[in-house]
Amino acid sequence: MNTTHSTSKTILAIEDDTALLGAITAKLQKADFSVIAARSVDEVFTKEFLQTGAATLSSKSVAATLEHLQSLQHVDAVWLDHNLIGTDDGLDFIVKFKANGGTWSTIPIFVVSNSANPDLIKTYAEIGINHYYLKAEHKLETIVNDIIAALSPQPVTALA
Amino acid sequence: MQSASTKEKKLTLHPGRGDTQTAILNVLTDYQAIAHESTRSRRAILNVLEDLERSNAALITKTQEMTEVAERLLQKNAIDTAILESIGDAIIVTSSTRAITFVNHAFEVLTGWSAAEVLGRDIVSILSRENEPGNLELKFSNTIFEVLQGHTHCSDITKPSFRIRKDNTTFPTNSTMTPVWLHGNVIGLVKSFRDITKELDIDKAKTEFVSLASHQLRTPLSAINWYTEMLLSGDVGPITEGQEKYLTEVYRGNQRMISLVNALLNVTRMTLGTFVLEPEMVDLVTLIHSVIHEQKIESDKKQLQLTTFFEPSIPIIQSDAKLLRMVMQNLISNAIKYTSLGGTIELSLCLDPTGTHFLFTVADNGIGIPKSQHERIFTRLFRADNVRVNDTEGNGLGLYIVKAIIENSGGRVWFESEENAGSTFHVELPVGSSS
Repeated sequence: MNTTHSTSKTILAIEDDTALLGAITAKLQKADFSVIAARSVDEVFTKEFLQTGAATLSSKSVAATLEHLQSLQHVDAVWLDHNLIGTDDGLDFIVKFKANGGTWSTIPIFVVSNSANPDLIKTYAEIGINHYYLKAEHKLETIVNDIIAALSPQPVTALA
Repeated sequence: MQSASTKEKKLTLHPGRGDTQTAILNVLTDYQAIAHESTRSRRAILNVLEDLERSNAALITKTQEMTEVAERLLQKNAIDTAILESIGDAIIVTSSTRAITFVNHAFEVLTGWSAAEVLGRDIVSILSRENEPGNLELKFSNTIFEVLQGHTHCSDITKPSFRIRKDNTTFPTNSTMTPVWLHGNVIGLVKSFRDITKELDIDKAKTEFVSLASHQLRTPLSAINWYTEMLLSGDVGPITEGQEKYLTEVYRGNQRMISLVNALLNVTRMTLGTFVLEPEMVDLVTLIHSVIHEQKIESDKKQLQLTTFFEPSIPIIQSDAKLLRMVMQNLISNAIKYTSLGGTIELSLCLDPTGTHFLFTVADNGIGIPKSQHERIFTRLFRADNVRVNDTEGNGLGLYIVKAIIENSGGRVWFESEENAGSTFHVELPVGSSS
């Protein structure tokens, strides 16, 4: 997992495909977001990463890692794929992410997946996400604009 | 010729001497005549006897021939029986009154009924079937009736029936029923069917593979999509006009690939029956306008005259907007794609007089569909010859998807078309559609 630092808002981007993760990171940075990039749920909740900003895949307790996550990083929104490296998928991530309550339960989550399974989409809607995008059918620009709109109290203009 | 008794009477009436000689001569003459007649009769009898002998010989020959024919028939019957008994498909033969007159070994194996148990019984009472497991099909006796009226029936392999065995378990079948004709009358029917469990399993595995492969294809397609998008947006620096042109082609090609993968996934979902309906309130007029809007660039490029007529009383309906959109997208994009520069397209949406059905029509004056290929136009992956020659972008899945969605919604789709004169597609949907 890698982190880019900026004075602007931070997006936690979780996507298992490195090429796609690279594109997402680049587009978000272009829109002046800081990006925490991860390829698995474990990676997100790894204490070592949160301390060092380096990708490590040792599992830790959810409570401990969330505590660290909260203390070290402020995440404004989550870009989440469904199928991820490891045994946990996007739904598992949301359950763990929201389990800690507080601000974590209100952070906007944008699921960007190539699975068009209606049952899965319905489950995500029920668990509480802002939007579900079918990856192959949406432009990066569209999704990034939606994130900007969700994080901004003021109407924003579209990205160039 | 006078008879001998008449001459005897003359002798008695004329007893003189001269008369006696004359009478004797007459008698002799008469006897000669009689003898001659007798010879002729003998010859005639001999002729008759010869004829009889010839007839007898012919009869013997005929009898021998008949015996040979009977033997050949017996042999043929033995061969036919052996064939019927050895083939894997179940065969059942009935009379015109539906009474079973023959079943083969495969029938006994597949259904659990023995021949002795079913011979003479009504085929409907033995071979009930279900549309799907647990749902008894009531149309079977109607189908039997139609076949006994002279119609051949072939079941649709994509919609198998489930035959019920003697022990009430079921198995999927594919079947045909053919009337038996004699002197212009139907004297019964022959029904054959087979267990298609394995075929369905293989088809399911194939479909699941296509689904998985298509899903996996979306990831690299997304990567191409997003990186091309960023290049075109100038995210990594300005690009030249030539680079932009080439990248736009890459982007368009990738979009086509994504559409193909999406279409394949939709088809596999339909085949697997995993298409989940999501009913919501749908304004059909707005939906059609939105589809027209998204295809406006292509329509304008070809300078097509697109006119619409929407009846004002079209109600909002409870339906699956995504599926309806897919239907409209396919029909409208086909009309745009297959209509030449400056052509016309007319769309209309009406409510039938009873208010129970919508009728959506798309009419164009484009390249049309060759008459000989009308029957295959809704077949999966089929593309008409004139389309394959002129267009490289279609995949032959659009109309298959349209038909599947419409029929699953209790509606119907049909068309009229003539090559080089245009096509008109009609979609009829119940107002209470759940699509």
